[in-house]
Amino acid sequence: MDSVVITITSGKGGVGKTTTTANIGTALALLGKKVVIADADIGLRNLDIVLGLENRIVYDSVDFIEGRCKLRQALIRDKRAGELYLLPAAQTRDKTAIKPQQMVDMINELRDEFHYILIDSPAGIEQGFQTAIAPADRVIVIINPEVSSVRDADRVIGLVEAHQKGSAMLIVNRIDSARVKKKDMLSVEDITEILSSQVIGIVPEDEEILSSTNRGQPVVLNSKGSAAQAYRDIARRIIGESVPLTMPSTGLFWQKLFGRA
Amino acid sequence: MILIKGLRQGLLILFSDAENATWATQLDELKVKLEQSGSFFQNARVAFDVRSLNLSLDDLQIAQTLLESYRVNLWAIASQSDKTIANTRRMNLATDPNNEEMPSLVTDDIGTLKENPFAATAEGSDGIFLQRLVRSGQTLRHPGHIVIIGDVHPGAELIAGSDIIVWGKLQGAAHAGSTGNDKAIVCALDLAPSILRIGNTTRRVPADKKRKYPKPEMAKIVNQEMNIIEWTP
Repeated sequence: MDSVVITITSGKGGVGKTTTTANIGTALALLGKKVVIADADIGLRNLDIVLGLENRIVYDSVDFIEGRCKLRQALIRDKRAGELYLLPAAQTRDKTAIKPQQMVDMINELRDEFHYILIDSPAGIEQGFQTAIAPADRVIVIINPEVSSVRDADRVIGLVEAHQKGSAMLIVNRIDSARVKKKDMLSVEDITEILSSQVIGIVPEDEEILSSTNRGQPVVLNSKGSAAQAYRDIARRIIGESVPLTMPSTGLFWQKLFGRA
Repeated sequence: MILIKGLRQGLLILFSDAENATWATQLDELKVKLEQSGSFFQNARVAFDVRSLNLSLDDLQIAQTLLESYRVNLWAIASQSDKTIANTRRMNLATDPNNEEMPSLVTDDIGTLKENPFAATAEGSDGIFLQRLVRSGQTLRHPGHIVIIGDVHPGAELIAGSDIIVWGKLQGAAHAGSTGNDKAIVCALDLAPSILRIGNTTRRVPADKKRKYPKPEMAKIVNQEMNIIEWTP
C-alpha cells in the first residue's frame, strides 16, 4: 500500500498539535482511508483522551518496542470513523523509551496496511521530537498567530529541513479574523511572509473545540462548525484534492454576516 | 618525542609518526608537559601537527578532552593522513595551522546535520553563495565571504572570515571579519541584525531599525567605530 507518514509538530507547546492530529486523522478516516494516529508524546499522552479512547488502552507503543505485545494488539480501533486506529503512548515512561530507529521500524511495520499514519509529536526540539520526525515522509508544523509561536516554528522548520524531510507544511491554528482585522493578531499573510512555507490549512478559534475535546469527540465527527470544516478541508488537501484556502469566519452570527474577510 | 613550537597563530605541537611512537604514549608525554608548565598553557590556543599518524575520531577527541582539562583550546590539526584530516573536519577544526582558515560547516546546536545542505557551494572557494533562507538556530560559517540571496531570520547566525552580503533581510546575528579583519563589511537590503560584529567591534542595532521601507545599507569600521551607511553599489 502507498502509505504516507505525517508527523505533526510545533516546537512551542499548547498550540493544538494533539487536537489537530485527532481531527485530521478522523477526517481522513471519514474520507474512507485506513488511518493510524500514533501518540509520540510518551509520559504526557493526551491523544487517547481527545479521541475518547482512554479507557480502552491495554498495550501501548512502548509495550510493543519492549516485546510485551504484538503491534496489532496495541492498536485501538475507533469505531465511529471507519478504519481509524490509535497507537497510544506509554504514560509511565519518558521520551527516551523509544529511540528514533525503533520508531522508524515500528512505523514501517504499519506502512503495508494503512494509507495514512499520523504521528503526534511532543513539544520541544529534544529527543522526543527527533524520535517523532524520524519516520516522517512529510511534516506539518502547527502555528498560532503570535510571534513566539512563529519564531519556534522557524526553528522547527529549519530542523525538519536538516533532517531531510523536505519543506514543512503549515497549519495556522486558532486564528480570529476579527482580531486580525484589528491588527491584534498576526495574519496568515504575515506568517507566510515570515516563514516562506506552504500553508495547508487555516483553523479558526472555535469554542466548540474545547467542549468537544473534553468530551472525547473530535469535532469533525458531527459538527458543522467552522473549525470542523477547516479540518475536513485539510484532510481533503492531504489526499490531493484541490480545496481553495479561505480565511474562515469566526463563529458569531453578525461576523458571518458582515465580517467575512 | 613531542615538540612545541611557537607560530604566529599560537602554539604548535609536533607529534612523531615513528613506528614506536603511539598516540597514547605521546599524549601521556603531552600531559606531563602540561602538568609541568603550570599556568603557561592556560587559555592558549594550540594546533597539532600529527604528520602521517592515522587517527580516529576517538583519538582526536581524547586529545581535545585532555587539553580542555588544562583549559587549552585546540583549534587546528595538520596531518598528511586523509583519515585524520577527515576526522579533523568532523570535529569542526581547521586543518592548516599556517592559515587561519575556519572550517566551512553548517552546524546545528542539537546535532550534526546528516548531510551538509550547503555543501555544493562550500569547498575550496573564497566565498560561498547561497540562494535560500537561513532559519533560527542555523549557523553558517565560512573562512571567506558569505553571500546570501534570501532572508536571514532572527536567531540565525552568520560568521565569515571576510564580508557578508545579504540580498534580503538580515535579522539574525552577523559576524564579518571573524578572524580579526577590521576591513570586512556587512551589507543587506534590510540591515536589521540582532547583533552586528566586524572584527572585534560589536554593535547592537537599535530596535527602531524595523522600517516599513528599508534602504540597502552597509556596515563598516571607520576609525575603530562601526558606521552604517547607505549601500550604493
